[in-house]
Amino acid sequence: MNAGNRSGARSLWILAVAAGGFIGALATLPVPESSAAPGQEVPESRFAVVDVTLFDGGAFQRNQDVWIEDGRVRALGPRLRLPEDLPRVDGRGHTLLPGLIDGHVHTFGGTLNDALRFGVTSVLDQFTDPALLPGAKSARDDIARTGEADLFSAGMLATAPGGHGTQFGMAVEPLTEPASAAAWVRARKDEGSDWIKIISEDGAAYGGELQFPALDRETIGALIAAAHAEEMLAVVHVTGIERALEAVSQGADGLVHVWIDEVIAEEDARRVAEAGVFVVPTLSVIASMFGDSTGLRVLDETDEELVSPMQWGTLGDRSYLRTGTEDEAALENVRRLHEAGVRIVAGTDAPNPGTGAGISMHSELRLLARAGLASDAVLAAATSGAAEAFRIPERGRVAEGHLADLVLVRGDVESDVSRTTDIVTIWKDGYAIARESAATASAPVIAAAPDGPIVADFEDGIDAGFGSGWQVTTDAMNGGTSTAGLAVEAGALVVRGETKAGFPFPWAGAIWFTGPQPMQAADFSGRTTLRFRTRGDGRPYTVMLFGAGAAGTVPPTVPFTAGPEWAVVEIPLKSFATADPTIIAGLAFVTQAPLGAFAFELDDVEIR
Amino acid sequence: MTAARRAHRARIYALEAWYQFLMVLREPAFAIPTLLFPLIFYLFFGVVLGAGSFSVAAPTYMLATYSVFGVMGPSLFGFGAGLAMERDSGVLLLKRTTPMPAAAYLLAKVAMAIAFGAAVVLGIFLLGAHGAGVVLYRWQWFALAGVVLAGVIPFCALGLAVGAWSRGRAAVAITNLVFLPMAMLSGLWIPITIFPAALQDVANALPAYHQAQLALKIIDMDGGQTTLLHISVLGVQSLALLAVAAFGFRRAGTGAVSIRPGGTS
Repeated sequence: MNAGNRSGARSLWILAVAAGGFIGALATLPVPESSAAPGQEVPESRFAVVDVTLFDGGAFQRNQDVWIEDGRVRALGPRLRLPEDLPRVDGRGHTLLPGLIDGHVHTFGGTLNDALRFGVTSVLDQFTDPALLPGAKSARDDIARTGEADLFSAGMLATAPGGHGTQFGMAVEPLTEPASAAAWVRARKDEGSDWIKIISEDGAAYGGELQFPALDRETIGALIAAAHAEEMLAVVHVTGIERALEAVSQGADGLVHVWIDEVIAEEDARRVAEAGVFVVPTLSVIASMFGDSTGLRVLDETDEELVSPMQWGTLGDRSYLRTGTEDEAALENVRRLHEAGVRIVAGTDAPNPGTGAGISMHSELRLLARAGLASDAVLAAATSGAAEAFRIPERGRVAEGHLADLVLVRGDVESDVSRTTDIVTIWKDGYAIARESAATASAPVIAAAPDGPIVADFEDGIDAGFGSGWQVTTDAMNGGTSTAGLAVEAGALVVRGETKAGFPFPWAGAIWFTGPQPMQAADFSGRTTLRFRTRGDGRPYTVMLFGAGAAGTVPPTVPFTAGPEWAVVEIPLKSFATADPTIIAGLAFVTQAPLGAFAFELDDVEIR
Repeated sequence: MTAARRAHRARIYALEAWYQFLMVLREPAFAIPTLLFPLIFYLFFGVVLGAGSFSVAAPTYMLATYSVFGVMGPSLFGFGAGLAMERDSGVLLLKRTTPMPAAAYLLAKVAMAIAFGAAVVLGIFLLGAHGAGVVLYRWQWFALAGVVLAGVIPFCALGLAVGAWSRGRAAVAITNLVFLPMAMLSGLWIPITIFPAALQDVANALPAYHQAQLALKIIDMDGGQTTLLHISVLGVQSLALLAVAAFGFRRAGTGAVSIRPGGTS
């Protein structure tokens, strides 16, 4: 018993000494020199990020200090001798990236602000209103606090009359012959285009019934040659492999989509690499078309107040959704091109349906990783690679003299590229960016719909008693030649007209503006069904639902038939492929194909 | 209970723990792999190859995950293999014939796992700090040590379940079959994000994955799931494993085991 006592006491002593030793040893482990933790009182303009894992545009390096002065990187390296008074951001456990560059966007609405709030400090626009270009040039040359990403753009695109690019309602000067290429390119240069974007597309890869008129081979060649004569890059929109390889052989500098119809053979991939052609695959838009949820997952991981209404709207818009697995072919093409040594540039094609400006860049990075690019290759595609491919100066790298466009991300991005969404701070020209969306203020005003039944019964003429009335809608607004007319006869709305060739997607019919102003949305929360009576000539008809904002995107549609006898049609609002089908600015009742004369009647149109 | 009796009882617990510790310390088949393997692995993969492997921050990542690995070893082997062998050899029966409470036997094994785990953790921390330049905030060093050592709870429960259901020598093999694949699939050697998606899904079912994620959370290197999720999964799994172990003991009948050393039925 005594021996037991002594052993017991001794074991307690040993335990105490061991525990004390353990805690003491832990206390000797190295800790960082004191500096401000990331996320608190973010310094601007003149500061240093210290002891950070840096991706400089080419490779990851540990324990780097980056010194920012007057909106530019003044110095970088391990253990810099920094002035005593220089504010410091502690970068331990964080990764510092150059501001991201989205290699394929279309600028309208809040695109540039949405981009910047998600770490995309420069966008390479592949078709927008040329009127934006002069302002964009002076803004990007200015080192000042801004809420917008720098815009570099092709401006207007080159396409055939009625070809791809003309359906968005934006002014386009189409080409018909090689002889006009030189003058066309010079006009773009004068407008301020940074490079030339050429459409080589007939719609075949996406199996469209209505195929596009496309530029012929000679005109494309002449445009590329004219661009090179003006010392401009020529990039080509393709979606099929045949036109892609043709563009490569014609001397294109880059392709701004990856094709989905066929997987490229290894020797062809090598040929693309040898030609020095870069590819902007735009996997985000392709993936969303085929139902891949990467974009929505990123949205799900993001704080709500960071997401603008336009980002919600376009990301949730499923109007490009189709069945098929061609997105797998797109990924495989990227894998093979990358392995063959082709430069891949990250680009989203935002804000097309299924994508959101800025936010989709983070899904693009994940998709590039899925296509087999290592973390450094993925990030280079989104930074230095994009800048080099499009000859964008002072951006895409963290290097002495470059702009202080920086993104500080929590954690180790090298081991997991999906961490880029965990952004701590974004600096543009050295200024910290407010990440919360201010866009709610500038979002379209959505009026509340009144309680009770909302019916257009045409008993007292065409005025529905709610909304801003019924009007004719045809493709004439986009340059088509279809016609339509409205009349109220015997308490019903009669729509007569003719759809004619002249626009890739001819349509004609009637639209009911359901908000207080035409195309101002009203909120029909709680309503579930669109119900109406119709009769007509037996042709196929379509209801198109226009929501809030996202102008230029294709509205979701549901088909119906107007037969010889009056019949009631009920369409659940949720069958419209859009994020929130109870936000309605307009309901269009139209006919599309086949071309020709049409007549149908509507009555008792009700949102219930 | 009088103070004297309480002190007496505490002495029994302390002594049992101490002798358990001495016993495994003198058992090279246990001490060497559980103490040295994690340290050697970390030295090689974390310190020597470290920054050149999957990430320049790999030494910091592995500091956390190899520490989890280091605590998992003694917990699993002490309970899984150790308990099964002691039962087969009759040691367990012998202990049951003494007035020592059964809890003392179990707590001694837990204490042993903590002691060995703490030694490994300290070793890895020192290697990381002085060999690979790992620097953490002081609270991170302490929190990491605490979270990693708390891993003895799920891992001992797992070991207990294995030990309850397997015979002596087979238990060693079975424990190894659980130990090494689980370490790999849970991202203790390399991050699971490098694996194909199907394997990443498997990780979500493994206690070592959730334990490692809790540890990685302290150094901002986890996969972004919530702390609550990891703690809930670990809690539910620990309780389930303890129930499995209890059922295993009842089925084997600890009393019957006792009659003939070497038999379990």
